[in-house]
Amino acid sequence: MAVNRAAIVDARFTDALAGMEPGGPRADLDAPVREGTALTARVALEIFESQLTSRHLDLEARRLKGKGESFYTIGSSGHEGNAAVAAALSPTDPAFLHYRAGAFFVQRSRQVPHQTPILDVLLGMVASRDEPIAGGRHKVLGSRALQIPPQTSTIASHLPKAVGAAISLSRAGRLGVEPGVPEDSIVVASFGDASANHSTATGAINAACWAAHQHLPMPLLLLCEDNGLGISVATPKGWIESAYGHRPELHYLQVDGLDIAATYDAALDAVDHVRQHRKPAFLHVKVVRLLGHAGSDVEQSYRTVEEIEAREAQDPLVQTARLLIEGGWMSSEALAHRYEEIRERTQALGEEATRRPKLQSAAEVMEVQAPLDPASVAAEVSRPVSAAARAGFWGERLPESDRPRHLAMQLNRGLGDLMIKYPQAILFGEDVAKKGGVYHVTAALSERTGVGRVFNTLLDEQAILGLAIGAGHMGLLPIPEIQYLAYLHNAEDQLRGEAASLQFFSQGQFKNPMVVRIASYAYQKGFGGHFHNDNSVAVLRDIPGLVIASPSRGDDAVGCLRSCMAAAAVHGTVCAFLEPIALYMTKDLYEPGDGRWCVPYEAEGPHVPIGSARTWGDGEDLTIVSFANGFWMSLRVARRLEETHGIRARVVDLRWLNPLPAEDVLREAQATGRVLLVDETRRTGGVSEGLCALLVDAGFEGSVTRIAARDSFIPLGDAANLVLVQEPQIEAAALALCGKEPGERRP
Amino acid sequence: MRRALLVCPGRGSYGRDQLGSLSPSPILAKVDSFRAGLGRPIVTELDGAARFTAKLHVAGENASILTFAATVADTERIAKVRPVVVTGNSMGWYTALYVAGALELLEAARLVETLGAYQEKNVIGGQVLYPVADEHWRPDSGLQAVVDAACAEDGVHLSIRLGGTAVLAADQEGVRHLLATLPKVTRGGREFPLQLPLHSAFHTPLMQGSSERALTDLANLNLKAPVLPLVTGDGRVFRSHASPEEIRDYTLTTQVVAPYDFTGAIAQALGDYAPEVVVALGPGDTLGAPIAQVMIALGWRGLRDRADFLEAQTCEQPPVLSMARPDQRAYVVEA
Repeated sequence: MAVNRAAIVDARFTDALAGMEPGGPRADLDAPVREGTALTARVALEIFESQLTSRHLDLEARRLKGKGESFYTIGSSGHEGNAAVAAALSPTDPAFLHYRAGAFFVQRSRQVPHQTPILDVLLGMVASRDEPIAGGRHKVLGSRALQIPPQTSTIASHLPKAVGAAISLSRAGRLGVEPGVPEDSIVVASFGDASANHSTATGAINAACWAAHQHLPMPLLLLCEDNGLGISVATPKGWIESAYGHRPELHYLQVDGLDIAATYDAALDAVDHVRQHRKPAFLHVKVVRLLGHAGSDVEQSYRTVEEIEAREAQDPLVQTARLLIEGGWMSSEALAHRYEEIRERTQALGEEATRRPKLQSAAEVMEVQAPLDPASVAAEVSRPVSAAARAGFWGERLPESDRPRHLAMQLNRGLGDLMIKYPQAILFGEDVAKKGGVYHVTAALSERTGVGRVFNTLLDEQAILGLAIGAGHMGLLPIPEIQYLAYLHNAEDQLRGEAASLQFFSQGQFKNPMVVRIASYAYQKGFGGHFHNDNSVAVLRDIPGLVIASPSRGDDAVGCLRSCMAAAAVHGTVCAFLEPIALYMTKDLYEPGDGRWCVPYEAEGPHVPIGSARTWGDGEDLTIVSFANGFWMSLRVARRLEETHGIRARVVDLRWLNPLPAEDVLREAQATGRVLLVDETRRTGGVSEGLCALLVDAGFEGSVTRIAARDSFIPLGDAANLVLVQEPQIEAAALALCGKEPGERRP
Repeated sequence: MRRALLVCPGRGSYGRDQLGSLSPSPILAKVDSFRAGLGRPIVTELDGAARFTAKLHVAGENASILTFAATVADTERIAKVRPVVVTGNSMGWYTALYVAGALELLEAARLVETLGAYQEKNVIGGQVLYPVADEHWRPDSGLQAVVDAACAEDGVHLSIRLGGTAVLAADQEGVRHLLATLPKVTRGGREFPLQLPLHSAFHTPLMQGSSERALTDLANLNLKAPVLPLVTGDGRVFRSHASPEEIRDYTLTTQVVAPYDFTGAIAQALGDYAPEVVVALGPGDTLGAPIAQVMIALGWRGLRDRADFLEAQTCEQPPVLSMARPDQRAYVVEA
């Protein structure tokens, strides 16, 4: 049977107090707690109480777990020195904290009125819906009042957004947007030594240095709490200082996190550097990990008892106790009494927490996930853009006075008008500024909006999406661009695990609105290969609450874009906007030169409600359901079907892949009884799987056939067409569905 | 012994029914001696008066010290519960400073006396009570909206959040306006809005003058960090390492001119210290209901409404004990 290390650490602390030599009693609590430090005895006592509280929360988690009441035992024991960092910060400095930040959280709670951190953390452990931030959906350290957005990351996936928040602090101010925190705020993000190796961490830190190197403000304090272990794997000796000690523009400080006076002094230095110079700092705090990785972790299986005991001998609580007792600031008896008093309180609060209600239904769980009220979105869409502002932006020639144009141009104009409508909007990505994007969709927008609103980023999709999340936190309305769909995949968790989950884990108290534009899909002529023609959207479709727009023609695209921005502005919605690259410059539909894929720009076009499809034609023989390139091809096939075979089809453009336009699809399917799904994404995990399920779930009794891309990566050149949906396939499937042979002509 | 939150009541607690309720005790003798030294009616004499009169017992200069004396006398009797945290309501903050150990008895009496004396023939504006809970003591968002709207008017201030009751304050004209315009609501057989007699617009900017006088008159008030944690009326906790300057600033400035959040104080004390019992000290039984209403709003111990609370009160270990009620007092003092 495993030895209960929690009990040993608990007892060892009390035993250690008895052996300490008391210093002569001292009363002036405003004196330094020891010579040479800025830490006063008063603040040291405050920090110590936070440390004790954090420890007892860990012990209580285990006690409640033993009773079957707690669901989370990853604790902060050994890391309690982070309370000294909290003390050196302002409680208004946004803090993105990792899961060992219990003492930081408690300490900050003591700097803000009306906070009950012990109960709040315990409510999280027992998954009670009364827990104030996540409402029982996760045990997180988070609070609106404390400027601590909740993080569920077990790795460092919260670092990109911390970088984004830091750079957005001053940008928001320049754009006249109120970021909700004082102008001189800095952002702090904590993480462990093991997660410092994660690509999200290395990418984010690189992005911070990259920005600072260009003299862009980057008020970011990176707090690396180095306990030397990633679960069971030891961090190589000296690795963190080697990896981060000499990075450009990154002020590196190392401190013994077991010593609160040293930690406080180092934190003050680091905070001062970041606040004054608006440059990043890396505070490397050496700590120990006590009580194992989590309650379920049997540390003895990978460490010797001697190693474990050596760590336990370094208990930071013992060290703070020694500082206070030997300094004469507190007697060992008073300190022991305080330790027990906090235990007693924490246990009493633990009992109260277990009495509190749990989430009771799926509806209750999901009610805060991604609220979307169609009427509010419609009202926001219809809010007009100022005519004077438009005239100033576009000059004498307003876009609606131009001739019909293709998708890329319509998107450019739609984006321009949205940049006018939303002064808090920023647009960024690789090559989007001067170059105007690879496909010129953002051409001239940077010149028209002025500096700071349309800008190039470094080549790192995690950083781009992290910037969007952080900007959203600071009150901006970001429109990040991902240059190609395939590039999204390395950064997808920034949408899935971070952006899309924020409202769920904060009950809407924090929001990160965004409209991510992604150049998508295949069929590019003359520019091939997998990375520029990716057709996989499966990773997006199952992200709860993520709105996915996938328009085909310019007018629908602008309408969808306006709805996405309205939802983002009103509800904080996270939207993915998939732009079909192959249709960007497409002008014609049926014949070369017919210009029928060009449309006039409408400054106030019809509203495109989220989740609403558009039906072309009223044929009663067949319903073709498609989107993007597939829709364009389907229209062409539909005309041939009628002209050649006398089959009259109606063609549904989904426009939205999430939520799927279920009502519209079902209505149009029932109108003909025959449904052909044309899906340019992959057969497995593609959109048509969802459409089939939708029809089955709704009890549709007609015929359904689907054409989808093969489960293949996209090869180079014409070989791409071998695995992608082609018009002849659509036509053949339509004929088969209508009971006609391919050679059969209209009567 | 059950871990207890001690709550010190505000000035209006000593009423007609409390006349003659004080027993002689050494602590009372000290307060009497203090008053005698000032040439003012001593507490024993006020308590022993033949009849209760507004002029004698409700006027601030006497009501405050009466409530203070009765409350501190109660603390001497506590035997069956273990105090772990202290708070107060309104003037009860001054008493709480003594109970928590931040002031010695006579310093606390001086504080009470000084602020109470400012009221002598000097009532500034007034306070009006209005319910924000329904008949079942659950928060009523409609009534809260009425209060919020009233407070948004010029010259009307929130004075105290008192569980299921809001205490509004204004100058005399504002008080007349509130009494005339707030929709009539009946709770427990009483009609609201209801003006508190001879009360100033405490905890509002109208008291700025009092704050300034107090800062001068009580410049040498000997405050120290409390022994027991002391919960403020603005959601903070002063603990044993608290700065006396911060306590002074709160006592003589903040709480004099800004709303007193008793609701928040009880919520803070419960949520931070999880006392097993809340003991309302002092005369009258004015705080039992507000404390229960805070518990109901929080869902504390699973309490959802008044019926739940009353049932809990019949258990072996009632969650709220009012020392003004003999049956409940028995849970606190030795027979």
